[in-house]
Amino acid sequence: MSFIWSSALKDLRRRLRDPLGLLLGAGIPLVTLALISLAFGGSGGVQPQAHLLVTDEDDSFGSNLLLGAFGQGPATELVLVEEVERDEGRARIEAGEASGWLLIPAGFGQAVLEEDPVTLTLVTNPAQTILPGILEEFLSVLVDAVFYLQRLLGDPLEEIAAGPEEGENTLPDQTVAEISITVNQLIERASTYLFPPVLALESGVDSEEGETDFNLGALFFPGMFFMAVLFLAQGFSGDVWEEKLHGTLQRVITTPAEVAGFLAGKLLAAAVVFAALSVLVFLAGSWLYDLPLSRLPLAVVWSSLSGLMFLVLFSLIHLYAGSQTTGNIMTSAITFPLLMAGGSFFPFEIMPDWLASVGRWTPNGWALEQLKAILAGKMDMGSLTVAFLGMAVLGVVAFVLSARRLRRGFALA
Amino acid sequence: MIEVDGLRKEYGSLTAVDGVSFIAEGSAIFGLLGPNGAGKSTTIGCISGLLQPTAGRVRVMGHDVTTEGRQARACLGVVPQELALYEDLSAAENLLYWGSAYGMKGGELRRRIDEVLELAGLLDRAKEPVKRFSGGMKRRLNFACGIVHRPQVLLLDEPTVGVDPQSRVRLLDLVREQAAAGTCVLYTTHYMEEAETLCDRLAVIDHGKVIALGSLAELRAMIGERDVLRLAGTFQPEAVIEALRPLESLEVVQADEDALLLTLEQASRRLPEIFSALTGAGAEVRETTMTQPSLESLFIKITGRELRE
Repeated sequence: MSFIWSSALKDLRRRLRDPLGLLLGAGIPLVTLALISLAFGGSGGVQPQAHLLVTDEDDSFGSNLLLGAFGQGPATELVLVEEVERDEGRARIEAGEASGWLLIPAGFGQAVLEEDPVTLTLVTNPAQTILPGILEEFLSVLVDAVFYLQRLLGDPLEEIAAGPEEGENTLPDQTVAEISITVNQLIERASTYLFPPVLALESGVDSEEGETDFNLGALFFPGMFFMAVLFLAQGFSGDVWEEKLHGTLQRVITTPAEVAGFLAGKLLAAAVVFAALSVLVFLAGSWLYDLPLSRLPLAVVWSSLSGLMFLVLFSLIHLYAGSQTTGNIMTSAITFPLLMAGGSFFPFEIMPDWLASVGRWTPNGWALEQLKAILAGKMDMGSLTVAFLGMAVLGVVAFVLSARRLRRGFALA
Repeated sequence: MIEVDGLRKEYGSLTAVDGVSFIAEGSAIFGLLGPNGAGKSTTIGCISGLLQPTAGRVRVMGHDVTTEGRQARACLGVVPQELALYEDLSAAENLLYWGSAYGMKGGELRRRIDEVLELAGLLDRAKEPVKRFSGGMKRRLNFACGIVHRPQVLLLDEPTVGVDPQSRVRLLDLVREQAAAGTCVLYTTHYMEEAETLCDRLAVIDHGKVIALGSLAELRAMIGERDVLRLAGTFQPEAVIEALRPLESLEVVQADEDALLLTLEQASRRLPEIFSALTGAGAEVRETTMTQPSLESLFIKITGRELRE
């Protein structure tokens, strides 16, 4: 036992004297997580808004209706309208000070009512790409809307546009009543299409007591953490080659110490690193994603065991590889597809169903699902025991095979 | 004590060690002398448990290395030919680890670490990472790691290869100190001078076989006081052998068309009669080299080749 401890201490000292290796292994996935959060999450940025200069040379009921549409609903978030004179509008759009300049010509309203051709001019800023496109699309929709409005309510609109007779401040009551009846009848006829039965659907998942809902960051968090574990395990596994190439493995074999103890020491040192990383990352996760602290000890144990399982499996690959380079290529060739399919790069929740179901059967995908269940408080003791037993059996088999290979074939090959 | 009896090690069709037998006693330095590739390291590998012998028997302090490997290895200290150190660790940490591999721990191990660091002249650099050490310092630490547990048998596989002269002297002194303290030392080398000055008993090994075995005095007696005379030029081998046959106590070791290898006593005085006989045999001599009696002479006498070939 004392040799296992001293082997573990020796490897821990070596690891701590190469902090860059540890930082790279654990840091890359965490940086990736930060990048993903920035790309898909985050609402702190300013939403882009198209700046539209408008010159209304018509100033009619129709042109006011058109401009008013820019101030309705979501358009207010997308488009900022500023009325300007023709010269100012031309000058400012040429100076690139806005996304577009809309010129509503005189006679626009009357032309709409009388169904005469009329041209709206929109000058866009060539220095911008997306915002002028938004303006073009939005204006196109508005023109269509005006067209259909004229078709449906042409007569009443014409009367409204004509305004009260000379000497009167308002439209006659009879005219207002006729307009109201016309609009009312139109709405009644179209009500089947305009006002379908209203069903309010509220969707949500009932949270049982103690369960935690994941947000986007939390969705990526376990997978990215497992990526760090896999990277570290892959990096640590190549150490058998370092021991061999430096002659220290052969030297161990000439001592009365057991090679299994030497290997166990390596795993123990790695377990300490995995556990330390797990504690740090889960504490951070607890702070960021409100993970209950009570679940962290089990999550730390599970993550450390998972790391050890990956380490011993990767070590086995190295032990059968013809050279260190071959071993590195083989473990990398396995690691990256595992990360892709196993829910680390892309959470299962956003994968196609068939790929997610395949990914859940990869070793890391399976281990990741158990970790998520632990963190979400959905793990029952029965399945937890089965998971730990499964992990232990796989780890022990790989360990025995590795120790045998280490003792003879690998050390002397 | 090391007892090697009929040791054989095969790698497929290649026989690296072919029936090697010898006994190395305690408080003495036993040398395995031979050229590179002769089978010295393979022999050490079989004794240390690193390699599984194909046939034969090896016992270390009475323990068979095959059936009682752990007990045998517990008696052994091994100083490998290549450095076997953790360069990120300090000298003391390396010794701590290798001592623990032999079951040492606590205060005893700490005290012993200081002792061997003192012996190796590294006490003042004990806490420094090994990667900052010079080549000679690493060699001394490599040696120290092999003796930290006070082994009864010490295997040294060419420990002075690539070492500067100062460190070499220090290392050879350390080896002598170990033997003087009662350790059985098995020392492999292809440096003839090292073997002559260091070893009490020797086995000369070539192509996996022991070709000469005995104390230094016994081996010298095998050589006699014979010098080695090496001649380069143009020769007719049969004619030359016939022409030299009448010359007293002269032995033709090797006769080729461009080289001739002779052993004889007092060669310098007998050069005239040798040249006369060779001229009579139609030989043309362009270069003459004479070597005083040594283990090299013995190796040449037995194998017809130089030790470093």
